[in-house]
Amino acid sequence: MLIKAVVTRLEHSRIIWISCGDRLSSYPRQEFAELSGSKEKLEEYSRTLEQKVEERTRELARSVEELQALGEVSQAVSSTLDPETVLTSIVRHAVQLSQTDAGTIYEFDEDEGVFLPRINYGTRAEFVEAIHESRPRVGDPSIMGQAAMKRAPNQIPDIENIPAYPFPFVQQAGYRALLALPLLREDRLIGGLVVRRKGAGEFPAPVVELLQAFAAQSVLAIHNARLFREIEEKGRELEIANKHKSEFLANMSHELRTPLNAILGYTELILDNIYGDVPKKIQEVLKRLEKSGRHLLGLINDVLDFSKIEAGQLTLSLNDYSMQDVVHTVVNSVQSLAEEKNLDLKVSVSPDLTVGKGDEQRISQVFLNLVGNAIKFTEEGEVKVEVTSLNNKFFVAVSDTGPGLSAADQQRIFEEFQQADSSSTRKKGGTGLGLSISKKMVEMHGGRIWVGSTLGKGSTFRFTLPVRVEKQRKQG
Amino acid sequence: MSKLILIIEDQEDNRRIMRDLFTSAGYKVIEAVNGEAGVMSAETHCPDLILMDIQLPDFDGYEATRRIKANPALSSTPVIAVTSYALSGDEAKAYEAGCDAYVSKPFRPRELLAKVREYV
Repeated sequence: MLIKAVVTRLEHSRIIWISCGDRLSSYPRQEFAELSGSKEKLEEYSRTLEQKVEERTRELARSVEELQALGEVSQAVSSTLDPETVLTSIVRHAVQLSQTDAGTIYEFDEDEGVFLPRINYGTRAEFVEAIHESRPRVGDPSIMGQAAMKRAPNQIPDIENIPAYPFPFVQQAGYRALLALPLLREDRLIGGLVVRRKGAGEFPAPVVELLQAFAAQSVLAIHNARLFREIEEKGRELEIANKHKSEFLANMSHELRTPLNAILGYTELILDNIYGDVPKKIQEVLKRLEKSGRHLLGLINDVLDFSKIEAGQLTLSLNDYSMQDVVHTVVNSVQSLAEEKNLDLKVSVSPDLTVGKGDEQRISQVFLNLVGNAIKFTEEGEVKVEVTSLNNKFFVAVSDTGPGLSAADQQRIFEEFQQADSSSTRKKGGTGLGLSISKKMVEMHGGRIWVGSTLGKGSTFRFTLPVRVEKQRKQG
Repeated sequence: MSKLILIIEDQEDNRRIMRDLFTSAGYKVIEAVNGEAGVMSAETHCPDLILMDIQLPDFDGYEATRRIKANPALSSTPVIAVTSYALSGDEAKAYEAGCDAYVSKPFRPRELLAKVREYV
């Protein structure tokens, strides 16, 4: 590099400024005065300066290189989930920047207590095999074993100076200087980083520091990879467990229904005097038995429906149906319940509704759930069912004069296993699945369901259904 | 002459409930516990109506219905499918197999009786 040293003398200043390229250096006037005495001295000074600049330039270039490498590595750590890629990049940069010949990242196997060479750079396969066989352990004389024991960087500037180094394959491969760093995460040993150089000599402190930065990145990469593996595994386990759960519920609820059907069937036959006249007192008890049985059947059906929806096995059977008929059948079946509680059950169905297409059984189930709930939770007043149609959609409203729902309850009442959270509603029983099933049924038809309510004034559940449903919607 | 109903059903309680129900309503009842026996019984006795369970141990009720309906002597015999509520979409399959009507389990005896009375 050509240096143009421009010497500026300021007569009254005690400092002399020398500008050299883009660098400006200052020297005390005294020193400069001595220099300026001889031309040789000045030239020599110039050369020293030249060297310093070169050195500084190299340092800067290396710093830039190191920063770039660290930047690349940390980006790889944060954006790549494949630990192989990240660790390979780390070990390559570590070797190149430390001007060594080979490097290895070890993973520490806690169960076995050994270091396993995970990623290698610049080594032959036989060498890696030899490391494997030597099974480096914490505290053994290997470079890695010592660094792990010290929990700090450990170096051997020249292996020849160590009498009988117990791992001859290292020397056989031509390595003289070794540097090892333990990989620690929250004081726990998770691995190690080793670089090897064929030339003997101490590793200077800046190199050790740089490799410590790489070691820290390796820790992150290994830790991320472990977490990722764990999450993946847990996710798979969860999926399998959930599938087993749904299958179990579907099978179980199906199995539970078979004997219950027999109980209900015989009860109805007895009540119909098929096995002879039944005394009034026994009839009353049988009616209670039947009622409880039907209730139990309803609960089991909810669980069955829910598990089938969960398992994605619920298919709608889409056929023509009459909305008027659906409403009347449902109202007829709950009429007695409303009468028992002295509730007014009002029905208003537009006379001009056209023939619908959908799963009549499932639509009836939604109606039954909403009207049944309205009657269940209302102590006095009325329950009203209204159906209209507009723009090829049915609009259904089921309103009651019950206790109403708080804003928070309105939010979560359609979620599984959720009921309005107050002691009065808890007492009413139920699986907490009814509304979530209704929501799924309505959505499978391409409709929407929601609730509006004021505490103390009652609730209105509304849902829409396309009049003609030609295709079942996928459940997300 | 009282009408003859063939009940094809593998589950004992269901069979007994149907038998008691229809016997007390004045029908004559014969029973079969699987598809094979059901088809044979239909051919032997030529019942006036068949109640067909869908989940049978050997082959399903759809197949049994197809075999029965394939027989010219039985093709006009009404077959009412009794299917499990658990299997949605059965209704269409039942009609496809040639069933005349469809009752889903759990059936209520009174409703089943009403359905049968529509035919015999």
